[in-house]
Amino acid sequence: MQVNENSYMYEMIRTELTDILGDQFVGVKEADLFGHSVDFYWIPEMWHDRGMETPKPDFICHPSTTEEVSKIMKIANQYKIPVVPWGGGSGSQGGALPVYGGIIMDMKRMNKYYGIDKESLTVRCQTGIIAKHLEWNCNKEGYSTMHLPASISCATIGGFLAHRGTGVLSTKYGKIEDMVMSLEVVTPTGEIIRTLPVPRHASGPDLTMLFMGSEGTLGIITEVTLKVHPQPEAREFRAYIFKDFHTAMSAGAELMRSRLQPCAIRLYDETETKTHVRKVFGMELEQGAYLVFGFDGRRDIVDCQMRYAREIMEEKYHGQDLGSKGGDLWWENKYKFFYPPYMFHIPQAFGTLDTVATFANIENVYYAMKKVVNENFPQARFIGHFSHWYEWGCMLYARFIFEEDAVPKDPREAAALYNRVWDMAIRAAIANGGVINEHHGVGLKLGRYMKDLYGTAMPVLEGIKKQLDPNNIMNPGKMGFKGI
Amino acid sequence: MNIDKYTETIKACRFCFMCRHLSAIGNVTFTEADTPRVRASMLYGVTMFPERLTSDDLVKTMYRSDLSACCRRNCVNHYEENALNLAYRADLVEAGAVPENIKAIAAELKGMPAWSVSGKGEVVYVADNYSVQSGAAAAFAKLAGGVQTVKGGSCGKGLWVLGFREEARKMAQTFVDVLESTGAATVVVSHTGIYDLLVNTLLEMGLSLKAKVMHSSEYLAKIKTAKKLGKVYYLESDFLRNYNDDYPFPKAVLETNGAMLQPFGTNDEESYSCGEGALLLDKIEPELVEKLAKYIEARADNPSNDVIVVASPYTKVQLKKYTSLNVKTIEELLAEAL
Repeated sequence: MQVNENSYMYEMIRTELTDILGDQFVGVKEADLFGHSVDFYWIPEMWHDRGMETPKPDFICHPSTTEEVSKIMKIANQYKIPVVPWGGGSGSQGGALPVYGGIIMDMKRMNKYYGIDKESLTVRCQTGIIAKHLEWNCNKEGYSTMHLPASISCATIGGFLAHRGTGVLSTKYGKIEDMVMSLEVVTPTGEIIRTLPVPRHASGPDLTMLFMGSEGTLGIITEVTLKVHPQPEAREFRAYIFKDFHTAMSAGAELMRSRLQPCAIRLYDETETKTHVRKVFGMELEQGAYLVFGFDGRRDIVDCQMRYAREIMEEKYHGQDLGSKGGDLWWENKYKFFYPPYMFHIPQAFGTLDTVATFANIENVYYAMKKVVNENFPQARFIGHFSHWYEWGCMLYARFIFEEDAVPKDPREAAALYNRVWDMAIRAAIANGGVINEHHGVGLKLGRYMKDLYGTAMPVLEGIKKQLDPNNIMNPGKMGFKGI
Repeated sequence: MNIDKYTETIKACRFCFMCRHLSAIGNVTFTEADTPRVRASMLYGVTMFPERLTSDDLVKTMYRSDLSACCRRNCVNHYEENALNLAYRADLVEAGAVPENIKAIAAELKGMPAWSVSGKGEVVYVADNYSVQSGAAAAFAKLAGGVQTVKGGSCGKGLWVLGFREEARKMAQTFVDVLESTGAATVVVSHTGIYDLLVNTLLEMGLSLKAKVMHSSEYLAKIKTAKKLGKVYYLESDFLRNYNDDYPFPKAVLETNGAMLQPFGTNDEESYSCGEGALLLDKIEPELVEKLAKYIEARADNPSNDVIVVASPYTKVQLKKYTSLNVKTIEELLAEAL
């Protein structure tokens, strides 16, 4: 049901929600509703920039306990009102936008930190805690989640869980799904369930992973237990310039195949290398590709791993050594380019076409995406870097940028152009062994490719959704699931 | 409009989330509206649709900002979302659309008695109401001895923060005249907001003061206490840390006198000041100030035992009012250890 603000039902529902949360925690005021109508997705930003009205929720609920979430879900089910979970609102895929109105379940009041189990090295918290706040709590006790993405200061832990987020140290410590031990979830019908307390077992299928990346379509994750790690004694980086992108990619892949354990590797394509090296190092490079990597842990083990890694970089692939300072500068500036005005921003049109593939496929994916963008949108710039590496492959963080004069003034035409880039680039990625996304999620932006990607497996996902959410109230219209 | 001077800030902040974790008010109300991102976005809307300037909800949201400037300190490029907010308030005053509660606070400030001067000396100390109420003024008198004192009036900073710029300028000029009439070469203040007025806001107002201005911690920098101060937690001041480039004297005077400064809470980035940067938040939104105080109390290692020291008399007054924390101003701590 879509709620009409002028209807009697609006007041009835509002009264029921207020009965659970109290008046101050049921938001209906203009500023709050507006605040939840724009996230970090380019389309609503552009919509607002052009003076268009952004779709707003009817109610914003700020629960503080799992039981309150459960009660709200039962009300929503009774009236068949859409419910959209909202963490920090920093998602880039439109996953938290209230496209059908209804209830925004803003989770930030569920920010309790329950502490670290120092025997098992785990931490338990409610999922509305801002990731930076959780990290600060862990740091105070000498530990770290090692989940350190650029969005750490704004996104909640629940947001990362719901979108399978990742951080700059993922190559050693994993993505958020590798860090999670167990979850508490409120299902769309209001049941409170807990997944098994350990992530490795042979006690049936893994329910934890069912909810990881479900983007609020299958339930609301209310509590989590995560792994934590002692702060490392040493963390050291080193940077190299290779003669071209292919050589740099080969060197990075070799580092992973060697089964050394870098905490981070980042490789910039030749276009982005020029910009990045100029910005960070003040160096002008005509050609070449920049690769930085690091190790952390015990000092002697870091030194040993670095020695072997240098052999790969220097002896086998003849990289030009920028030294540890070249690497440290990257680490120190890792978040800098997400601040304005460095970050791409409106009136530019821009997007991150992140994907992931095996080492056998990743260069093909990169060149295929680059080709379709360059050939079909010559007015756009295509850049890319590879920032999350696995034993078997790596993630491509490709981006396209249209400068202001290349973006149509009419917002609908601008949106149409924007969507055409995604259509072509994502389909090129899928055709070459990539997937539609690696760590930002699907949301509203990429939902239409889910059937392409999953093929005959899509009905399995749809069946799970229908079973858990018979009234289709949980974040409808997202992740390729049907709308209202 | 005054906000037009901050177009760059609006465009930089309206879609930026990088300081979300430092929004003191946002961290107790949990609303998106109470963040620099949404405030800047809404003001972008005002630049397109000027009729939105006086929207009740926008007005309320802007007046409950903590103005801590933690966002500016955290920001790589130090965008001025706080100055943007103050410009909006000035626009509201110019539009004659200030809400009644703000008008009442402004009237109270305008109705305060004239400053009175007492004592003799080359130094004049400003004994404003918060400094008196917090105990900072009495402790300063014990530490500093023979100085002149001005007390009882209003300095113009409050009216400036509320948006009444013309009246604030006149009031500040009167305050400057009083200070200059003392003939003192040095003006010392405990109130961090008055310090900010004298070193920064006067310039914005087009005014100047000949005397050297010091926060009391700077003036007392050479004092030597008989007893060591021991283990204390220092809560940073918004004005001294965020608006005045990590003003070093509060920590320095504590450390010189044997204080073992402990890290408070989990980090040194948030504002633990109860809305000091907003100057009058205790009058505009007392319930929010109580929440801010409780937020701080919840982060103390041992709330009933820890010695917590502040540079801001405002912060002490609020923490005393709403928590059981053992909180002292720098002046009090030093005076006790003489």
